[in-house]
Amino acid sequence: MTDKKKRTDSSMTDQELVEAHASLNREKHPPTVGFLYAPLIFVFVFGCLIFVCSIQLAHTTNNFQLHPPREVVELSPEEKEALRIERKVESGKKVFAARCASCHQDNGQGIPGQFPPLDGSKWVTSDPGLISNIIIMGLKGEIEVKGVTYGTNPAQNMVAVPINNREIANVVTYVRQAWSNEATEVLEEEVSAFRAESSEQSEQWTGEQLREMYPSAFSTE
Amino acid sequence: MKESPEQVIDRSAKLVVSFFVASAGLWLLAAALLAYIVAAKLTDPFFLSGIEYLTYGKVKIAQANAFVYGWGGNSIFAATLWIIARLSQAEVRGRIFLLFAGTLWNLGITAGLLGILDGKMNAHELLEMPTEVWPVLFIGYSIIAFLALVIHRSREHSSTIAPQWFILSSLLWFPALFLIAWNGLELNPARGTLQTVLSMWFGQSLIWLWLTPMALGAAYYVIPAIMGIVIDKYYLAIFGFWCIAALAPWSVLNHLVGGPVPMWIPAVGTVMSIAMIFPIAVASTNFHATAFKDVGKVWNSLPLRFVIFGTLSYTLSSYIGVIFSLPAVAKLTQFSIINEFHFNQRVYGFFSMIIFGVVYHMLPKITGREIGTGSKTFHFWTSAAGVMMLLLAYLIGGLTHGVLAQQPSLDWASSVISSVQPYFLITKIAFVILGFSQLVFVINVWKVIFPNPLAYILDGSPERKEKSA
Repeated sequence: MTDKKKRTDSSMTDQELVEAHASLNREKHPPTVGFLYAPLIFVFVFGCLIFVCSIQLAHTTNNFQLHPPREVVELSPEEKEALRIERKVESGKKVFAARCASCHQDNGQGIPGQFPPLDGSKWVTSDPGLISNIIIMGLKGEIEVKGVTYGTNPAQNMVAVPINNREIANVVTYVRQAWSNEATEVLEEEVSAFRAESSEQSEQWTGEQLREMYPSAFSTE
Repeated sequence: MKESPEQVIDRSAKLVVSFFVASAGLWLLAAALLAYIVAAKLTDPFFLSGIEYLTYGKVKIAQANAFVYGWGGNSIFAATLWIIARLSQAEVRGRIFLLFAGTLWNLGITAGLLGILDGKMNAHELLEMPTEVWPVLFIGYSIIAFLALVIHRSREHSSTIAPQWFILSSLLWFPALFLIAWNGLELNPARGTLQTVLSMWFGQSLIWLWLTPMALGAAYYVIPAIMGIVIDKYYLAIFGFWCIAALAPWSVLNHLVGGPVPMWIPAVGTVMSIAMIFPIAVASTNFHATAFKDVGKVWNSLPLRFVIFGTLSYTLSSYIGVIFSLPAVAKLTQFSIINEFHFNQRVYGFFSMIIFGVVYHMLPKITGREIGTGSKTFHFWTSAAGVMMLLLAYLIGGLTHGVLAQQPSLDWASSVISSVQPYFLITKIAFVILGFSQLVFVINVWKVIFPNPLAYILDGSPERKEKSA
């Protein structure tokens, strides 16, 4: 090589060019200072590059998932509460449609002369214990709802509804807030307390019993 | 007088290479004209607005295709055939087939561009020419590539060197890219997102795997051939080569950042773009460490000056490209005219400059006629100035555009467009300068290829001297 570098004619013929580079392919370089210097820099720089690239790859590829990550929405306490009530009422509505609507109707108006209305009824909107207890144990005998007497025919008695406390809480909350009703929410714990209190009651309630238990509900009626 | 083996090779290549260089020159001028129209339309919307065939969308696409396939394709064929023949020490064979294939290629592009101007475009980047012309182009290309491989097969020296790796792989990668894209877009169209990815991938890979390795290979040949010394740190070249082969087709995916594709596609693209620092660093070390051994020679030899300008531009602009592929930056600039910067830095600042150098190195050897130093120097300085002006305008204008476009409070027409408009004016001036520069190049080239009476009028003395000698 060295003799070619010293040539006075500066340019290389192609024959020489091919041979010189081809011999560089084969030759093992002696580990001189000048030779080691550049590769060391390259190894260092390229090592750093591989590191940076790996970090970048790990952070940005989303684990090679097809879909982008779900956006996480942080709700305020009020929004969470509203969402909880909404879900509870939604579930109560389903229970109502399955268990109650056949007699009391979807619009909560009942059937005149046969089944009492729930919409605007004090039996529903006053003390939550009243309606909860009726669902837990059922109701028989004559009662008066919105000035009309119901239950004269024993066939119209209401039997206990076999659902758990949670479902009762949901459906009661729904009924108390549906249509024109605007009453408070009922919690599952409250329903279980009502169930415990009425444990000695072995058959359906009568209107008289309930009137004694919840006098405040009937005070204005 | 007995001819040297090199003269024999040059004589065998003369007709074919002249044909390709001459047609490349014409396409370059066509592209320059179209580029001016495009730039003028951006500063004056009413410029040629009455002509249906010259609306902005059509001319812009026609310009890119004329540039890449017309100028790029023809000059790649010329440089490939000559360099491969020289390095193999084998004559160019099958000349009649090469001429036939070259004619097919040029007719195909002509028909394709007319189709584009007529509105029969495909919707895929750099595949916009009408569907019908592609088989013609592909047949033409295959014949040329096959005959180049035939030359390479008959080489004297069994082992291969860097320019051969780059040039031959560029020769083979184009049909590979084309067949993959054509299969996925036309023959068995991929569904949904994949088509977008494939379309973008082809358009960008074409520049990275066809134009880039060709220009790198040419630089790997011209630099040692003119300087008379071997490539410095040559042992790195093989690493650079495989890095480009492995990383480049992935790195282009970063253009999809924020697009409707799975997140890992642009993320991998970004990482591979960063990793592209490997081959960029290797190539620039090879070229510039060699060039710095004798700066005086680089300065005095015009072909070498072109080539080194190209490799410097490659290094600098590739690093800029890496920065712009980072997600934080890409978010700002993705939908701005910075994309023009990326395209032009690659095809003008890098590829074309190196090809100019190769042509100036090759033509005097092939034709035996010298090109006037004055006009060559004029070409160099106007090209260099025009390219730098163009790239700076697109770079600064693109940043302005991208940053302003991110602020929804700004009024689009009065704030964003009006602050980008001065840059469009600069690019228009740059395209005028480049147009003149390329006109001089084409005159230089045609004069040595076809020393017709016009040549005597324009530059009489050297020709007459040569004749009388």
